[in-house]
Amino acid sequence: MYSFIAGIFILPVIVSGLLLFLPSKAAKILVIFSAVVLSAISVYLFIQVDQPFYFSVPHYINEIVAGADILLLLYFGFVAIRKKSLLVGVMTVLQLGGLLYLLKILPPAESMQFMVDKLSAAMFMLINIISGIIAIYSLRYIEEEDCSSFRKKYFMSIMFWFIAVMNMIVSSDNLEYFFLFFELTTLASFLFIGFRKDQESVGNAITALWMNQIGGLAILVAIFFIHYNGYGEATFSNLLTHGSATGILLPLAFMSIAALIKGAQMPFSKWLLGAMVAPTPVSALLHSSTMVKIAPFIILRLSPVIKDTPVATVIIALTGFVFVAAAVVSLSQDNLKRILAHSTIGLLALMIMMAAIATPVTIIASLVLILFHGISKCMLFLNAGVLERVFHLKQTSDMDKLGEVGPYTSLAVTIGFMSLLLPPFGAFVGKWLSYLTLGAFLQEQRVFGALVIVFVAIGGAVFSLLYFKVMGTLISRTGNNDHIEFEHTGKIYKTIINLLMVMIVLCMVGLPYLLTHLFSPVAADLVGSHIPIVTEGWNYYIGAMKLPMVPLLVAFFLLPVTIVAAMFVQFKKVDRAKEYMCGEKINYSFSSFYFTTDKAAPYFSTVGILFFIALIAVALI
Amino acid sequence: MNNLLIPVLLIILAPFIGGLVYGFERIVKARMQRRIGPPLLQPFYDFLKLADKRRMIVHSAHAFFGIMHFVSLWFAVGVLLMGGDLILVVFLHLLSSSLMILAGYSTRSIFSHLGANRTAMTLLAYEPVLILIAVSIYLVTGSFDVSSVYKMDQPLLYKLPLAFIALLLILPIKMKKSPFDVAEAHQEVVGGVELEFSGIFFEAVYTAKWLDYVFCYTLVYMFAGSNVLLGIGLMVFTFLYLNALDNSSARVNYRQMLRFSLGVACSLAFINLLIHSIF
Repeated sequence: MYSFIAGIFILPVIVSGLLLFLPSKAAKILVIFSAVVLSAISVYLFIQVDQPFYFSVPHYINEIVAGADILLLLYFGFVAIRKKSLLVGVMTVLQLGGLLYLLKILPPAESMQFMVDKLSAAMFMLINIISGIIAIYSLRYIEEEDCSSFRKKYFMSIMFWFIAVMNMIVSSDNLEYFFLFFELTTLASFLFIGFRKDQESVGNAITALWMNQIGGLAILVAIFFIHYNGYGEATFSNLLTHGSATGILLPLAFMSIAALIKGAQMPFSKWLLGAMVAPTPVSALLHSSTMVKIAPFIILRLSPVIKDTPVATVIIALTGFVFVAAAVVSLSQDNLKRILAHSTIGLLALMIMMAAIATPVTIIASLVLILFHGISKCMLFLNAGVLERVFHLKQTSDMDKLGEVGPYTSLAVTIGFMSLLLPPFGAFVGKWLSYLTLGAFLQEQRVFGALVIVFVAIGGAVFSLLYFKVMGTLISRTGNNDHIEFEHTGKIYKTIINLLMVMIVLCMVGLPYLLTHLFSPVAADLVGSHIPIVTEGWNYYIGAMKLPMVPLLVAFFLLPVTIVAAMFVQFKKVDRAKEYMCGEKINYSFSSFYFTTDKAAPYFSTVGILFFIALIAVALI
Repeated sequence: MNNLLIPVLLIILAPFIGGLVYGFERIVKARMQRRIGPPLLQPFYDFLKLADKRRMIVHSAHAFFGIMHFVSLWFAVGVLLMGGDLILVVFLHLLSSSLMILAGYSTRSIFSHLGANRTAMTLLAYEPVLILIAVSIYLVTGSFDVSSVYKMDQPLLYKLPLAFIALLLILPIKMKKSPFDVAEAHQEVVGGVELEFSGIFFEAVYTAKWLDYVFCYTLVYMFAGSNVLLGIGLMVFTFLYLNALDNSSARVNYRQMLRFSLGVACSLAFINLLIHSIF
């Protein structure tokens, strides 16, 4: 097993190095080959890992990690000077000071630095499979990018290096290591967002950098408090054993802050929204399988100790608020990528909330959301890339002819949106589990639980409104084009989108299997007790939660099949009529309501800041 | 066996019952306006007449969505009458309305689009309230199943009076009654989302409205729990209230509707939830 884990760490690094030199033909083969190998290893590891598997690395690696930290921070300092960014500079100085201080006071690490358990293995699958798919897609996408051939290689190279870092971050137990990988993902996002080198890209890259640096700083503070409170070594597993120790709330609060920043919760949502200036595969990567998923990962990892603390309460309140705020602001957006970005923020809020409530069923809900959101968002963003490259469309209001000129892409995007929203797709199941468990949560938490439910209910309704708005534009056509013919978008594009659609359908059909074999074992590992999943009569039980099977199955046939079938159904022997125009002959531009909800965004940010202050305040008291 | 027979019969006859309610409603409404009104079976006469018309559609997907709207709504009504999970019922209902909205968007017709936009707004207005009511019921009974309500010894109404008022406030939105009939706005948006349906294909949309009656009145009946008399009383009261309101009020615009529903109805349901969870 050790060799496989080493493989999943080192293989992407080697590939990343090779991609810088190899000619494009060989690079193509290498990318596809390594994506398949990495996916295979991750699946194998998930099957193999049963007990948490600890392992250490040679002692000199500790020094390398410390050195790499300092080098990285020096690079950030260099960026701050070159781009004349005060914020990055301040953050770098703070981080560097904190790091040097910690290196001085901390005793050398004794215990194992890495730990791979079921949760890490599940994250491996998400990271490697989805990112592999995105990497293959990028081969085609980046070819059409307007930049030098070296920068194209460089782009693919960072992508694999990013995958390696992600694999390491989800398996590191030692927080110093975790800090390094956290900062490396920050670096990756900085390089990716600034890839196009224009003014907007550079500006957004700088924003992403300093915001995520605050997260890094929070980790350093957390390490400091762990040491200061005398819990011993700064590791996740050590933190988990100190669940009832005095002063435990401070390190937890700071780790949560790091998570919330990575998860782009308000007021730190700006960095993720700014990330859309990068080439589209980057958005797909950041939103679906990597980067933002660190947020629910950290909270899930800490869920046994965070559960039922004031820190959890503030996190739940914050995420409940963000869920609504993101939904409301997204209503005013027209750019497809921005709409997707807002829905990522909203759904991340839901994932983090579920992880923080930390009952067995909410943990399953959180995991279901993480996985399915990964697949759906990946597919939606890759389609956004196709729309951009093949159809030259970015705004949803321009897409009203897509149903006629690009029915295949329109179908794919529609399925993507459906999978985010409606029964019986995974994300729906996640959302539904959320409602069901929030009901149970309410019985314990009373007033607070009730408020959270209101927030989730309203946010959910606003998101549905938004998705229908977009889906409606995508499927519109006239009677002249009743017979559809799928367009050609390119071999790689089509293969990848087909693959993702098959994955969505498989996950949906195989949901009961996934629940028993994927989600339930991971959740059981986290909560430390077995979660029974049984079928009894017409019902399906997850723990104490009851899911009626028959209505769910029928809902499955009704909705997705209806919307897909609507593309192909043809009524013969029925006359076609023109639309009723009230006698007018003007060309009417079809659009939905325009909302000006983005005016509220600054207020939302203010509220977000208050929540972050509250998070630290409850930990101090 | 016996307790399964009634729901199954109700489900099968649901469109027919809804049609009768609709016919009766037209009479009552007319009498309130001192008119005689159409015969009770007028909706069914209309139904037969529509079946005889020339078949015309805008495009196949549009017509297909209309039919599936009816099918999925019938299914939602079925789950509700069988005493299924209320959250699921709300979602299924959302699903059926969403198919109608998609139908509206799928054409290049101005009024159809306008209607779809407005229907989407009504969804936003009443869905949170329905979910809150479902959660309140969970708090009272410990289960999301509608059937658990009928097993209680006390009617739900006594425990959740404010939630019932909230339901009364959103029913006009749901059933497209004044002052909240923004979705079709009688003639102003030329039928709105239903505009491009005609003849036999309009039949599906037309009878779906009857199903909606069954859906809404079942929700009302649910508040009486096992008390049948109270249930009938509540339904009669709601019926009279809806028609009196429809006859006596002027339409508001969609902003006012949204503000009212999320501000007043949602708060009422929420306050009830709070009161119940604290005491």
